[in-house]
Amino acid sequence: MLKYSFKRVLWVFPTLIGVLLLLFSLTYFLPGDPATAILGPRATPELIEELNSRLHLDRSMPVRLGYYLKGIVQGDLGTSVWSGHSVSSLMAEALGHTAILAVTTLAVAAVIGIILGAFGAIRQDTPISGVVTIISLMGVALPDFVAALLLMLVFCVKIPIFPAIGAGEGFWDIIMHLILPATALGIGWVGYLARLTHESMVDVLEADYIRTARAFAIPQKSIAYVYALKNAIIPTITVLGLGVGKLLGGAVFVEIIFSRPGLGKLIVDAVYARDFPVLQGGILIATVLFVLANLVADISYGFVNPQIQYD
Amino acid sequence: MNTTATDVMQKKRRLTPGWTQNFTLIFKSIAKKKGGLIGSIFIAIMLLCAIAAPWLAPFDPNEQNIVQRFAGPGLPHLLGTDYLGRDTLSRIIYGCRIAVLVAFGAVSISSIFGVFLGVVAGYNEGKKFDYFIIWLFDIVRSFPQIILALAIVAVLGPSLVNVVIALAFTAFPFYGRIARAQTLFVKETDYVKAAQAMGQKPIKIIIKHITPNILAPVIVCLGMDMATMVIWESGLSFLGLGVRPPTASWGIMLRNGYKYIQVSPWTIVWPSLAIAFSMIAFSLFSDGLRVALDPKERNR
Amino acid sequence: MKENEPLLDEPLLEVSKLTLDYNLGKRKMRALNRVSFQINKGEILGVAGESGCGKSTLGLAIIKLLPKIASIRRGEILFEGQDLLKLSEDQMNKKIRGQKISMIFQNPQDALNPVFTIEKQMVDILKTQRLYKNKRIRSARFFRDQAIDRLKATGIADPAQRLSNYPFEFSGGMKQRVMIGMALSSGTSLLLADEATTALDVTIEAQINKLIADLAKEYKTSVLYVSHNLGVLAELADRIMIMYAGRVFEMGTTKDVFGSPSHPYSAALLESMPSRQDRGKRLLSIPGFVPPLDNLPPGCSFHPRCKFVEAICKKEVPPMEEVTPGHFSACFLDIKRGRKRLQWI
Repeated sequence: MLKYSFKRVLWVFPTLIGVLLLLFSLTYFLPGDPATAILGPRATPELIEELNSRLHLDRSMPVRLGYYLKGIVQGDLGTSVWSGHSVSSLMAEALGHTAILAVTTLAVAAVIGIILGAFGAIRQDTPISGVVTIISLMGVALPDFVAALLLMLVFCVKIPIFPAIGAGEGFWDIIMHLILPATALGIGWVGYLARLTHESMVDVLEADYIRTARAFAIPQKSIAYVYALKNAIIPTITVLGLGVGKLLGGAVFVEIIFSRPGLGKLIVDAVYARDFPVLQGGILIATVLFVLANLVADISYGFVNPQIQYD
Repeated sequence: MNTTATDVMQKKRRLTPGWTQNFTLIFKSIAKKKGGLIGSIFIAIMLLCAIAAPWLAPFDPNEQNIVQRFAGPGLPHLLGTDYLGRDTLSRIIYGCRIAVLVAFGAVSISSIFGVFLGVVAGYNEGKKFDYFIIWLFDIVRSFPQIILALAIVAVLGPSLVNVVIALAFTAFPFYGRIARAQTLFVKETDYVKAAQAMGQKPIKIIIKHITPNILAPVIVCLGMDMATMVIWESGLSFLGLGVRPPTASWGIMLRNGYKYIQVSPWTIVWPSLAIAFSMIAFSLFSDGLRVALDPKERNR
Repeated sequence: MKENEPLLDEPLLEVSKLTLDYNLGKRKMRALNRVSFQINKGEILGVAGESGCGKSTLGLAIIKLLPKIASIRRGEILFEGQDLLKLSEDQMNKKIRGQKISMIFQNPQDALNPVFTIEKQMVDILKTQRLYKNKRIRSARFFRDQAIDRLKATGIADPAQRLSNYPFEFSGGMKQRVMIGMALSSGTSLLLADEATTALDVTIEAQINKLIADLAKEYKTSVLYVSHNLGVLAELADRIMIMYAGRVFEMGTTKDVFGSPSHPYSAALLESMPSRQDRGKRLLSIPGFVPPLDNLPPGCSFHPRCKFVEAICKKEVPPMEEVTPGHFSACFLDIKRGRKRLQWI
């Protein structure tokens, strides 16, 4: 178990190095002159030259890579071409908004999804499994940005209950600003996790070891919520790590639609503005978060499932 | 061993599930279940719309009619018009083209590329090449998919072809990993061992014996992935980073609808419904496909 | 050896006319048909028959763990004078399951929960057992020590260490030992063993069977031992019950049934078993297959495969008759023929 965790953690480093290389090469292989691409065709030669030296664009590839990696190691992600702010400070500001959205969404979706899925499988006489089917169908049919648009249409435009833009200030205001984006992001996850848990719970409840527990008069509740559930949530846990990646991706759209000043909006705005340092930094942060989430999910998977083997 | 290599080879030929020859069989098995049948019909409708768009669409999708802006559903514009007075129904039908094109394009490129790398890596398990490929897969998989696609489109510039390239690039390691894992399993089977013993070239073994036997899980993945690609094409177009206007894409329609959300709800509702319809189609179809290709599930 | 021991003729379990159906949609499969037998205190009853004859259903019916599609049509299962079929689920859990009646299953690989340690699983079970209800010290320590004792009794080396292991760290034989440790205690009156050693290697199988027999003797536990392996049953069982397609065909002491089988099916089963004397000879098998339970032939369900078949066999179901004292058989042929030893060949 420890050995597995250790190996899993070690493997992160070569992967992250690769991520940096890929990010670097994305801008390096940018077609045409990067400074012109950033500043637009009407830029003066002086401006271009200034930008070139500021971003080291006039140097050879290995040197530029060296500067890039050196900056990363020093925690310096560069400066925004447009605003002049350091990318790190922009990130720090945006990250909070995205983190609160993603964490709330995933946590609430996981709790609701697992409860619905498990309960529906245990109590098949209740209409819960029907509810699970409907929610998961809705989740499949409405991708997050479509759900966000429809929610905005209904609850901000037609029946204005919730605020349409921004992230809010103060506890209640923040909650009110979270509800629609989180619902848009989370509905697919509730359905997916509920269905996943439901299916695996149904399988587990038919397993021989559950019959053994019943043959030895282990109380029904304990069988369902301890003996069976721990087995049934193994597949659910594996997808939670991936969930963080999907949520960060979904956050891009939802933050644009609800104008939340988060990481996703920062990235997309950087694309619009061709602000490559910000774009690179934003993607790097999102990727590191995703890698860490997967790491945590994999290691906690090892704790839930003692029989893990890793090679 | 009493059996010769050729015996085993011949036995294998008879025993292979042979999905390649049995497309009709698989399709029948999908259509037998209610969900699979509905999914197949929906997909058929989408394909029909994509292919026959010029004949099905009542109007030219790009014909502007400023007088008729933001018309609600009615006649002659069944689903209404957008901010330029273009016919929504026609644009939805033409949008199907883009959706189908991107979904099939991105999925086929990424699966061919991914399966090839995965099989070759799996066949060379434990060698440097294998580690390199795993590393490559893990790098690409480290990015949240849509964000990577966004970055690639940002660099390459928004266009239909670039969207397909970007989406294919983000998806290929997923196929690669499935293919590699399957290959590790298949390459230990008797018929591959036999082929190796007979001195067949690795490339021949990979093409003739391994690849056909690892495709079932890949195909199951294809169905679901097409849905994802439709979503992301719409998403990128919605952000203005996908297909260029005035091309009719569901994402661009949503983008315009979002701009005029206060004025005309219909311009958001219709493309949303189109996306929902295609999502359900792909999801039901790929569920059916999964059951049809999984012998364990088939007998339930 | 066994037959010299005095059998306590006090019945522990009396099953009478137990009839059970599996409902699969429109199809109705009669898995048990008027099954009647008894197990005396301290006795090992072996149940034999080909797969699909209802052997496994029998054990599950006694401990009432039948799948939802099963429904008991009639009959009663008297255990210590009490009809188990009339007990509620709650009463079964409080008094019977894991207390007086324990069950060990066919596939030890899957019988233990893969995500919990052996300690957690054993202690949970021990906590439910009435045996310890009156003990003053029901501490975690106490149950751990009990679990160690149980494992030691089943011959697991270094039990204190092994407790913290997960099931996947045990071999199949070891897992079955753990199961036996969970199942058998001085409080157990009846052990249901459903093909308990079928999935194991032959040498391990012998060890486990010996363990079951020894512990059963030590705790004076009766055993219903279901197996398709007649050799195992011959060594283990005091009495034998032969089943076919949901019915009991023959029942008697191991010596009677295996020494002078009275039913053609029993004789055929015995002769299809490999033995040392027959080495080199071709092994006999019974022609045909066990009929599907939802499509049984009329009359004696064995008649299409029986070489002694007569007209009456195809029309009427033969009743159970006492051939010699304590030896029962359900065959028309048998009734006419008297007590002559049956030769299948």
